[in-house]
Amino acid sequence: MTSAVDDVDPRMPVGESAPEDGPPRVGSCPLSARDLTVSFGPVIALDGFSVDIPRGIVGLLGPNGAGKSTFIKASLGLLTPENGAVFVGGLDTRTQSLQIRDGVGYMPEHDCLVASMNAVELVSYFGMISGMLARDSIQRGHEVLDFVGIGEERYRQIRSYSTGMKQKVKLAQAIVHDPPLLFLDEPTSGMDPKGREEMLELVRMIGSSDKTVLLSSHILQEVESVCDHVVIISDGKLVQEGETKALIAGEEGVQSLTIRGDEGGMTRFVRILGEACEIVEAKEEGGKQMSLLIRGCGDGSQIFGLARDSGVQIRRYHPERLDLEEVYLRSFRGGGKDGS
Amino acid sequence: MGVDPIRYRPWKGERTALNLRVYVILKSIFRHGLKSIGVKILLILSFLFVYAFGFMDVILFGSETLDAEKMSSNFNAFNLTLFAMLLAAVITSDLISEDLSSRSFVLYFSRAIKTRDYLVGKAGGAILIMSLLCFLPPVLLAVVSILTQSGSDYWSSIKVLGSTMVAGALAAVFFVPYGLMLSSITNRRSYAAVGTFMSFMVLTIISEMFVEIDPAWSVIGPARSLSAAVDWIFGLPSDIDGGALFAFLALFIIVPAVVLYWRVQRKAVGR
Repeated sequence: MTSAVDDVDPRMPVGESAPEDGPPRVGSCPLSARDLTVSFGPVIALDGFSVDIPRGIVGLLGPNGAGKSTFIKASLGLLTPENGAVFVGGLDTRTQSLQIRDGVGYMPEHDCLVASMNAVELVSYFGMISGMLARDSIQRGHEVLDFVGIGEERYRQIRSYSTGMKQKVKLAQAIVHDPPLLFLDEPTSGMDPKGREEMLELVRMIGSSDKTVLLSSHILQEVESVCDHVVIISDGKLVQEGETKALIAGEEGVQSLTIRGDEGGMTRFVRILGEACEIVEAKEEGGKQMSLLIRGCGDGSQIFGLARDSGVQIRRYHPERLDLEEVYLRSFRGGGKDGS
Repeated sequence: MGVDPIRYRPWKGERTALNLRVYVILKSIFRHGLKSIGVKILLILSFLFVYAFGFMDVILFGSETLDAEKMSSNFNAFNLTLFAMLLAAVITSDLISEDLSSRSFVLYFSRAIKTRDYLVGKAGGAILIMSLLCFLPPVLLAVVSILTQSGSDYWSSIKVLGSTMVAGALAAVFFVPYGLMLSSITNRRSYAAVGTFMSFMVLTIISEMFVEIDPAWSVIGPARSLSAAVDWIFGLPSDIDGGALFAFLALFIIVPAVVLYWRVQRKAVGR
């Protein structure tokens, strides 16, 4: 019989090795899940979920109940998977959860701050629970509160704080022990636009200091503006993942075309166009306009000729460009390369 | 104050061992408890009402040796049980309920800490404060008695001192698990405090009502059962059946501890 540490788990990501003690070593793949299944009674929260989270700022997207929080909890070793495993920095959450948690910071979505404490007490207290000495944790507590922008208010009881200040204190307690991997669950929840921008700037700063940040959010524009990589999850399964730039760049060779004209002309144009090249997606917009995604139409001169013959106007014609919202929606409804 | 332009700075310090983190919680509970005006008042009053006479007696009149019966009577005093019940209700009421209402469990358990460590820290802090009422004064009283005794039989006095320490530790622990259990099933501190104190009081009243009919009823009264356990520790005869006493102690210490662990374990994963 051998111990879990002695064996190299065949499901462990290539290039990772499990350190015997101490916090996780974050390599090129700080977090990965393999065939992860977690259920709560009859509800399957994660269903054979597999993913490799790369370094950098990674967005975790999905509708409510998709399994995002369950994945974070499983990564912290708080939930025991029925099947599969999660590896954080090469450590297995099933057997090495304490070492994993030593190297992880977690900012929960919901309110979780002890209202009777002030920010300095709370941040330094959780710093000490993370293994910092008292003098270090107090000094570091002040430092991270400076970093997140909590000023003299740090000496007031947290019960008197605004939502934005509470969010910043939640971030401060998550980074006080300088973890290499950070889970941020809806970090801008309840914040005003200025506060949101400040929070995103903080996330960018943390991400640029050699940390891996897994950011779960419903606000797609935020994820698009901050994250280098995106993972979309639904019904406990991985729907799509990739670099943000690649996802929103659209597929090579796919063009976006918007035409305007009468109904007969547009119908004729679409029929002829369909014979000449591939129509990936066609959407009618109010009866007088249509948006199409087309592939394999060469340099476009043929399209202008067809439009002239069909009596329709070409309003826009350019390579496909997406925003993350479109990528997200296509992941669920299908269409184009990403949601096919 | 806006976002600090100094950017994020890493921390390069050393971490303490995992098993030492429990002391952070324990120390915090102890310090927080001692800052409370209510706790300070209870400790002063309990000293005046429970131990002051004993100290005056020892200092003014002295004794030949430390007497087991005399020391046991300190624990048997209803005053001590009353103050212990009050103090336990005050100090345990917010230990879990505050984390429940603030949902701060997740901040503890996202760190390298087990449910067991969390509970040991919380209960340890509460027991330390209870010790200021149940352990430290009787032990001090015993030490003063030994120092001022006129006889030369120090060995028997030291044996009584040992029994005093064990009895003091039991009294300090006795009320804490039940108080913590009630604190873990409500997120209102007041409910936990009143519930804890009233549970003990109701049991005491029932016990006192029925003990005239059947002395066996005395076992369900915290004051009488604690006093019987203390008598047993001091080697004195007791009216209460040993098996029933053990069952009651288990009921009041082990069962609440198990329920508490189960509750916190569930909360740790957000259920």
